[in-house]
Amino acid sequence: MQKMRWRWLTALVLATGIVTAAGCGDDDESSSDAGSTDTARTFEAGTTMKKLQDAGEVTIGVKFDVSPFGVKNPTTGKVEGFDVDLGKAIADELGVKAKFVEALSDNRIPFLKDGTTDVILSTMTITAERDEEIDFSDPYFVAEGRILVKKSDDSIKGIDDLAGKKVCTALGSTYEATLKKQAPKATVRAVDSYSDCLELVQNGAVDAESTDDVILTGQIIQDDSLKLVGEKLTTEPYGAGIKEGDTEFLAFVNEVFQKFKDDGRWAKSYEKWVGQFTGEDREPPTMSLKEALALST
Amino acid sequence: MSALLDVLTENLDEFGGGLWVTLRLVLGAFVIAIVVGTMVAALRIAPSVWLRRLGGIYVESFRNIPLLVLLTMAYAGLRRAGVPIDQWTAGIGALGLYTAAYVAEVLRSGVFAVSKGQIEASLSLGFGYAETLRRIVLPQAFRTVIPPLGSIVIAMIKNSAIIGVSLIALNDVLKSARLVQAETFKTEEAFLWAAVGYLLLTVTATVGFRFLERRLAISR
Repeated sequence: MQKMRWRWLTALVLATGIVTAAGCGDDDESSSDAGSTDTARTFEAGTTMKKLQDAGEVTIGVKFDVSPFGVKNPTTGKVEGFDVDLGKAIADELGVKAKFVEALSDNRIPFLKDGTTDVILSTMTITAERDEEIDFSDPYFVAEGRILVKKSDDSIKGIDDLAGKKVCTALGSTYEATLKKQAPKATVRAVDSYSDCLELVQNGAVDAESTDDVILTGQIIQDDSLKLVGEKLTTEPYGAGIKEGDTEFLAFVNEVFQKFKDDGRWAKSYEKWVGQFTGEDREPPTMSLKEALALST
Repeated sequence: MSALLDVLTENLDEFGGGLWVTLRLVLGAFVIAIVVGTMVAALRIAPSVWLRRLGGIYVESFRNIPLLVLLTMAYAGLRRAGVPIDQWTAGIGALGLYTAAYVAEVLRSGVFAVSKGQIEASLSLGFGYAETLRRIVLPQAFRTVIPPLGSIVIAMIKNSAIIGVSLIALNDVLKSARLVQAETFKTEEAFLWAAVGYLLLTVTATVGFRFLERRLAISR
């Protein structure tokens, strides 16, 4: 009888293991030709790269609802977008699997600090303030701050018209400060995500939404009753975030990004996620981290 | 320790504003919860089976739907349907109606604690149903349910934190902590002060209910 019970227990443990493994597999992206030992680079013991190789995966925080940078495809259940492509490039170079987890604007820095994620690629603008908490890679994309309103709304033509209006942006984004400075008379509604903002614009709870042009363009692709107005408010260089002080890993990420920009993968990814919708050509950014940081001070 | 205090003093406006928003939310929701909860409890014990069923439908629908879903429906849902509801009405309304379902259930149990003999005596003395409820049953029911009512109010104060997280996004205590966190990256400190903010409200409620309990207690 005792033996019987053990057998059941073992079966149960195994079943749980299989279910868990299958469940975890959902967001794993096995990179194209990774894993084959002859292409994988070797790193010195003690470096983050070596640790990640030993672990067999790198955890990357991306947005799940910001088209076209990080969005969970409802049909396939996979996360995809420009940020995801960059994340895969990092994983490929290490020869490990990329595991994507959702990182919101206000939890991504805590995620890096507490080790939940190894890298953050979530449309994060490089700022001097954030740079004190984490380390930034070189800019991999340069966005511009814009305003989105309903096409039917003629009262807002630029930032000055936002006085007395309600504007939505994401909690923890740079736009809270930008709006406070450039449109002090506007009422700012800070919500969890830009998809929440989209809902609020659509149902008329707020008059406008302000954030990066590429994010807003992504929303216009989904709903063509919206439009961009006004001049650019800010320049927003995106950087990958990594844990403060890990210089070797930072150098590695920069190297991966430089390769990504140089060998045409950047242009291909841009065309796939942004260019084909906007018809606008862009070159990979050449801005340095120093220049990016200087913008925010 | 002083770093902890600095986070509070440097963001006093934010935290103070958050406390004020949460206070107004819970006071508004409390009034709705007591008024609607009493009416629903009356339905639940009404002599007509249809009225009882109506009360049952209310309790089951509001108690069995997560508050976050109710809040989203009350705000985004109604706005989509063409009702220009604002943040405060949606937040206070949804939290109040949600809590009312629990209040109704607690009141109903209080009513059952009043012995049947009293109701029969009241009815035989010529009181109507409504009058019996108002003069005989409910005063006694309220007295017996004060302790569980206190628990419901404390739960409501804590539940109000969901309003700031939802699409309604009012700047309540929790939201103020998240805004401070986003600005200063001092996560632990900001949330510790949020906890203190909620404690201020919940402990006040506890003390208030204990006072009521003592004041209205039947001397035994």
